[in-house]
Amino acid sequence: MKVLGYKHRLDEIGATAVFVTFDDPEPVRERLLAGLDVPYPVLVDRERETYRAWGLRRSSVAGVWLDPRLWARYASLLVRGERLRRPGSDTLQLGGDFVIDREGIVVYARSQERDDRPPVGELLAALRRSSLD
Amino acid sequence: METGLVRPGLPAPPLELPTLACDRFDLADLRGHPALVSFLRHAG
Repeated sequence: MKVLGYKHRLDEIGATAVFVTFDDPEPVRERLLAGLDVPYPVLVDRERETYRAWGLRRSSVAGVWLDPRLWARYASLLVRGERLRRPGSDTLQLGGDFVIDREGIVVYARSQERDDRPPVGELLAALRRSSLD
Repeated sequence: METGLVRPGLPAPPLELPTLACDRFDLADLRGHPALVSFLRHAG
């Protein structure tokens, strides 16, 4: 949700955003959105039907939990004094980012492979291109 | 049924879901604006 720090850039482009989660609303509010001001809709897909419809798959256990970058990130959080929490409902479900144009056509699509996300600049560039079409 | 990742150039699949605020959302509400649709992983 790094893009939230670039709301002014989205406003300049005339773009908007929507987030989709599959967890219960309570942990989403208490963990994922804690301390964040989210001026965009956050949708709840408990059955993950839209995840499947948009082609977002589940990773393998090894794909997520044997990734050294994941453990490096956890180590970094612990060093900063953060407390690790019990994972959410399904640690294997992958997310993804899409940009749709003003007519509802997908112009950018990228699924996660693990915890990776595209750079915010890449998303902003796709939004800017679609605003110019 | 799991399908492949939705491809650029195709219409966005439906996205009609409740919001955290329990409103109904429809992707058509975003028409007229480019939009980022970000699917999140677990709440962590």
